Amino acid sequence: MIAVFNKEIRSYFTSAIGFIFMAVFLLISGIFFAFINLLQASSYFSPVLENCIFVFLLLVPVLTMRTIAGETHQKTDQLLLTSPLKVSDIVLGKYFAAVALFLLTLLITCIYPLIMSMYGNISALEIIGDYLGFILMGSSFISIGLFVSSISGNQVTSAVGTFGALLFIWLIDWVQQGLPTSLTSGVIFAGILVILLCIIIYYATKNIYAGTIVGIAGAAVMAIVYFTKKTLYEGFTAKFLGWFSLLKRYESFSMGILDVSSIIYYITFSAAFLFLTVRMIEKRRWS
Amino acid sequence: MILIEVIDVTKRYGRHVILDKINFTVDKGEVLGFLGPNGAGKSTTMNIITGYISATEGQVKVDGIDMLEHPEKVKKKIGYLPEIPPLYPEMTVEEYLRFVCDIKKVSGPKREESLKQVMDTVRISDVKERLIRNLSKGYRQRIGIAQAIIGDPEVLILDEPTVGLDPNQIIEIRNLIKELGKRHTIILSSHILPEVSAICGRVLIINKGQIVAEGSPEELSQQFNYSSKILLRIKGDGEEAVKTIQGIENVVSVANQGVKEDNTVDILVESKKGVDIREQLFNAMSFANLPIYMMKPMNLTLEDIFAQVTTHEEVEK
Repeated sequence: MIAVFNKEIRSYFTSAIGFIFMAVFLLISGIFFAFINLLQASSYFSPVLENCIFVFLLLVPVLTMRTIAGETHQKTDQLLLTSPLKVSDIVLGKYFAAVALFLLTLLITCIYPLIMSMYGNISALEIIGDYLGFILMGSSFISIGLFVSSISGNQVTSAVGTFGALLFIWLIDWVQQGLPTSLTSGVIFAGILVILLCIIIYYATKNIYAGTIVGIAGAAVMAIVYFTKKTLYEGFTAKFLGWFSLLKRYESFSMGILDVSSIIYYITFSAAFLFLTVRMIEKRRWS
Repeated sequence: MILIEVIDVTKRYGRHVILDKINFTVDKGEVLGFLGPNGAGKSTTMNIITGYISATEGQVKVDGIDMLEHPEKVKKKIGYLPEIPPLYPEMTVEEYLRFVCDIKKVSGPKREESLKQVMDTVRISDVKERLIRNLSKGYRQRIGIAQAIIGDPEVLILDEPTVGLDPNQIIEIRNLIKELGKRHTIILSSHILPEVSAICGRVLIINKGQIVAEGSPEELSQQFNYSSKILLRIKGDGEEAVKTIQGIENVVSVANQGVKEDNTVDILVESKKGVDIREQLFNAMSFANLPIYMMKPMNLTLEDIFAQVTTHEEVEK
């Protein structure tokens, strides 16, 4: 894992990618800092980081597009996968390298609150909370980028795909409000999910029985829920999308609340996507 | 002693069969050649042995260890040069080889020593500080080989190691492989026949996912040699020469190949297998006052065998 980590860090800085990422992020966050804090003489730092989320969202594809798609494209995955390394070591090495670059960049932005503290009072705990939330959420973004990189064959698809996925996550809260909350809509959405799951299982295993069994089991669960606890279906669509809303959980951090459930949520989210990435790479060897 | 066992390995992509129940073994210290047209399944077989892709069915064992059960252990025993050398263009040669040492878990005092030794073996020490991006194809191929021999694995698997090189580099790489063959067990693939017969002790001919012939280059040429051919260049009249040769015992066929040099004629003589007719030829020609300018035995080359075996398949289907 450490070998891959070192190599990735080095390649971020031997190619321009690492520098571009840091330069753009620092430039734009600097502009936010100047306009929000310095020019308005405000000590309120949260809006700066909140605005930075969107900048980071735009930059994640740059950070993750090469990670796995680049290896596939250059055929260097043959070296990594035929070496005694485990696939999970490769994926974790790449993930932590991207996270490390992200942390390094954030560390530089810590200058902003330090500048403010020289001229007035700042709420240190609140700012630390903001940073913690940002780090956790950013790491989750990176895990999505890594996953998209593992399913795409080249860097361009990888970048566009990651950007699309993150933009959707950005919009989830907004989309959620417009969704129907009726019982029928919930049932229909659950049905669509079960069908999708069947199709995925069928394609992953190429076994029609496995797909059918999952479909029947899913339908049975749906029926049981329908007859025992109908209310679960009300607003189900919105609830389901809410599970992917990374931004909503950030709010509690920016209010200075250290919410353990949110921390666990972000870590689980990253772990799930890293696991999927490992599976994806292993699956490619079988088909 | 058997080092690599490939048992009933089948690879399918959907309905498309790439490998169809391939079976073979490789002994320790052997240099085995895979021969086959493009798309025959050579690279797929190599990718399966090295664990890059998995077989749909069947088993691969290296030193008695199953690839699927202990992939890390098996991969440590194998050095692999894929068809396209897996290089990072943005690294220098030395950085790259150090990275390979890291992922192959070569560490401690052994590391510097083996790095130097590997670079000397493939002769890339003079470019070790240059970016791989700026190096020629010949150097890249050698770095690819360097990468494979780092950690001194028992088995080396080289997929078309000389493809795309100029004739001098080809000879250089071949000599290098011969050298490596003294200390490693090697599987090598190629669609260039002289290469395989020059380097390998045993050859597998693969076509359309099946092994169609197997043996040492000499065995193969014997196995497929049903008769022996001699090419003659004779001064004098062609028709007279043909008639004279037809009179000799054990001659199967005589063909006039036309005039290649002024006042001479080229004749291809085919005799029964295992019979040497050269002396009789000489006597008969000298008796008829038809001087022999050239006499050249035409052994069946691997090329002929290859063509026979691979086109035979086609007819069958």
